[in-house]
Amino acid sequence: MLILKSVSLFDGDQLLEGTFDILIEKSKIKAIVPEGNKIDIKGARSIELKGTLACPGFIDIHAHLREPGEEWREDIESGSLAGARGGFTTIVAMPNTSPPLDRPELIRHIARKGREVRGAKVLPSGAISKNREGKELAELFGMAKEGAVLFTEDGSPTSNTELLRNALLYTKDLNLKIMEHPEDPYLSNGGQINEGKISALSGLKGIPRSSELIGVERCIALAEELRSPIHITHVSTKESISAIRSAKERGIPITCDTTPHHLSLEESEIIKSDFNPVYKVKPPLRTLEDIEALWEAISDGIIDAIATDHAPYHPDEKDLPFEEAPFGIASLECAVAVVLNEWHNRKQKISIERILRLFTSGPSRILPERYRELGKLKEGGIANITVLDLEKIKKVNASSWVSKCRLTPWDGITLKGWPILTIVEGEVFQIDI
Amino acid sequence: MRVKHRHLLDLRNWSREDIESVLHLAKEFEKKLNHEREKASCLRKAIIVNLFLEPSTRTRVSFELAGKMMGATVINWSNSSSSMVKGESLKDTVWTLEAMGVDAIVIRSRTIGTAAYLAKKLKRASVINAGDGAHAHPTQTLLDIYTLWKRLGSLAGKKVLILGDILHSRVARSNIIGFKKMGAKIIVSAPKTLLPLDLSPLGVQYEPDPLKAVKSADIIYVLRIQRERIKSSLIPSLREYNLRFGCARELLTEASSKTVVMHPGPINRGVEIDSEVSDSSRSIILEQVKSGISIRMAILYLLLKAREG
Repeated sequence: MLILKSVSLFDGDQLLEGTFDILIEKSKIKAIVPEGNKIDIKGARSIELKGTLACPGFIDIHAHLREPGEEWREDIESGSLAGARGGFTTIVAMPNTSPPLDRPELIRHIARKGREVRGAKVLPSGAISKNREGKELAELFGMAKEGAVLFTEDGSPTSNTELLRNALLYTKDLNLKIMEHPEDPYLSNGGQINEGKISALSGLKGIPRSSELIGVERCIALAEELRSPIHITHVSTKESISAIRSAKERGIPITCDTTPHHLSLEESEIIKSDFNPVYKVKPPLRTLEDIEALWEAISDGIIDAIATDHAPYHPDEKDLPFEEAPFGIASLECAVAVVLNEWHNRKQKISIERILRLFTSGPSRILPERYRELGKLKEGGIANITVLDLEKIKKVNASSWVSKCRLTPWDGITLKGWPILTIVEGEVFQIDI
Repeated sequence: MRVKHRHLLDLRNWSREDIESVLHLAKEFEKKLNHEREKASCLRKAIIVNLFLEPSTRTRVSFELAGKMMGATVINWSNSSSSMVKGESLKDTVWTLEAMGVDAIVIRSRTIGTAAYLAKKLKRASVINAGDGAHAHPTQTLLDIYTLWKRLGSLAGKKVLILGDILHSRVARSNIIGFKKMGAKIIVSAPKTLLPLDLSPLGVQYEPDPLKAVKSADIIYVLRIQRERIKSSLIPSLREYNLRFGCARELLTEASSKTVVMHPGPINRGVEIDSEVSDSSRSIILEQVKSGISIRMAILYLLLKAREG
C-alpha cells in the first residue's frame, strides 16, 4: 500500500480543485480523497507531495528503442528505465529495427518484454510493409492480435502511396491507427537541415519545407477519401499546421503530434554550435516562426500529442562531422522538462492543462480503444502516475542517464519544471523530491 | 602582427583587422619569395599535415609549398593511401596524428563541418580548413582579397559580381563573408536552381541577367559549373549555361574596361568561362594562384605563432 499525500491533481482532462491523498494498492488506484479526509492505513508507505501535481502516467507514442538488432544503441529495458526516469509510464517502440518489426512473432516478443520490464511499459508498433520495403503489406492483422498498437514505416515515409492507401483500408476494421512520417523522400534526398537561412549560410543541403507538407497533404487526401483515421507524427512546420488545421475543420479524421525539440530548438543552433550533430534531426529543426506556429497549434488544440521521437545512437555513430552523422536526438529523460520549461516561457498564453493533455489523454486516444484508460487518473484505474514539480529547477545531466544514449542537445542546460516521481502499475519507480 | 585564433575554420569570427594582419604579413612573405626565393626557417620546428580527403591540386600544392618555404616538415596525407581506406575513423586518424606531435592539420573534405569537428577533437594542433563541402574555403577568400588588395588598394565600395553556382560553392560562401567584411558590395547572378532559395541571409543583391549585373561590377568572380548539375536536373545543358551565364567577350563588353575577372579554378573552358576571357589581360586568375602561397604562409605563421602565445 502506498499513499501519495497532499498532491494537486490533473485527471487527464482538467486540474481538480484542492489537494488530495491517493491510495494505491497493488497495481490499482484504490481511492482518491480530498486532503483532510484522512486515509490512515497501518504499515502503508506514504510520500508527502505538497506543492506538486499528480497526473495520469505520461505516454510517449513515438520512441526508437532499437530492439531487436541494434541493442548497443538502446534496448527495451534501457528505454523503459529511461522513460520512467523521464516521467513516462507507457512508451510505444517504433518498428524500424533490424530486422524490422513486421511479423506477429516479433511483435509478440516485444509485447512480452514490454510488459515485463521494470520501468515504463513498452508497447510495440508494427511496420506497414514487409521488411519496410514498401512493396507488400505486412501481416497487419496478425501483428494487431499480438499486441501492436499502431502501424508505421517511421524512420521514413510509406514509400508507395497505394500501399499506404491499402493499409488504411485494411486497418479500418482493426481500430488501429496508421502513423505516418510525412516526407517526400525525393525532395529531401541528401538534405541535412531546413532549407532556408542556415542552409544558405552553411552550404548544407536544405530539406524543402514542401517535403513535409506534401507528406501531410497525402495523409489528408487519403484520410478524407477513405474516412479512415491517420496519425501524422513529428509535425514541424507552420505550413503543415495550417494544412492540418484546415483538414480538421473539415472533419477529416486526422491526428498529429510534434516533438519537444521542434517546440524548443531553432535551426540557428546548428551554426551556433559549429555543426554539432546533436542538432541533426529529421524533420530538421525549423525557424522561430515554425516554433511559434506549433505553440499556437497547441494553444488551440490542433496538436493531439507530444512525442519524443527519442532516436538513440552509440556515441561513435554520431561522433562524426555533421554531414556524415545520422539523424536523431536522444531525449526520453528530459523531454517532459524541456516542454514544461518552454511552457513556463509561454504560460500567459497556454494553460498547463493543454500541455498535460498532450502527454496523457491526447496520446491515449491515438492508441487502440482498450488503452483509453491510460490517459485518466481515477479511482479503480491502473496506478500509472506521473508527479510533476512545475517549479523545480534542475540542470540536464546526460552523464547520469540510464538511457544508453546521452547525445542530447540539452546536456548542461537548466530547465524549470520536472517530473519527480513516476509510478508504473503501482510500483514507485523514481523519486526526485 | 598577431591574431587571436588557434584555428581557421571559416571567416565568420575573423575581424577585418585579423584579415588585414594576414594581408600585411603575406606581403612581407611575398617580397621574400620574389627576391630571394630562399626558404625561411621561422617554422622549422613545425610539423604540418595536409589531410586531403577530397582530390585537389592547387590548394594542396599551395599549402605544401607554403609550409616548406618556411622550413616546416610537411606531410601529405591522402585518403586513398591512408589507413582510412581500412575503415579507420577520422577521429582515430586525427588522434594518431596529434600523438605524433603534429602542430597543424590542413583539412580538405567533401563533408561540411569536418574542420570544425577536428578542431573540437584536437587538444593542441591548429586546424586550417582547406575546404569543407559547400560550406567554407577561407584561405581561398583570403588569397582573393589579397589579390584584389594588391591590385585595387582597397575593396571598400567595390562591387563584386559572383557569377555561377552559388548554391554548391564553398568559395562563394566564404567570399561573400570576406569581401563584405572588407567593405565590398556583392551581386550574384545564376540560374535560380543554383542559388539558395532565400538569398537574404547572405546579404547580397540578385540580378538574373548577367549582362545587366556586369555593368556596375568592378570584379567578376566566376564559379565552376560541374557536369553533375546536369544529371541532377539543375541546368539543362552546359551549352545553354554557357550561352546564358558564361563569362564571354559579350559579357565583358558590357563591363567597364577596368573590370577584372577572377576564378578559383580549376576552370572549365567554354562552360563558365571562355578561353578568350580567361587568357585575356582582364583575367587575374594566375595572380590568384600565386597569391595563394604567400597567404598560406601568413596563415600558418600567424596560427602557429599565436599558439605559442
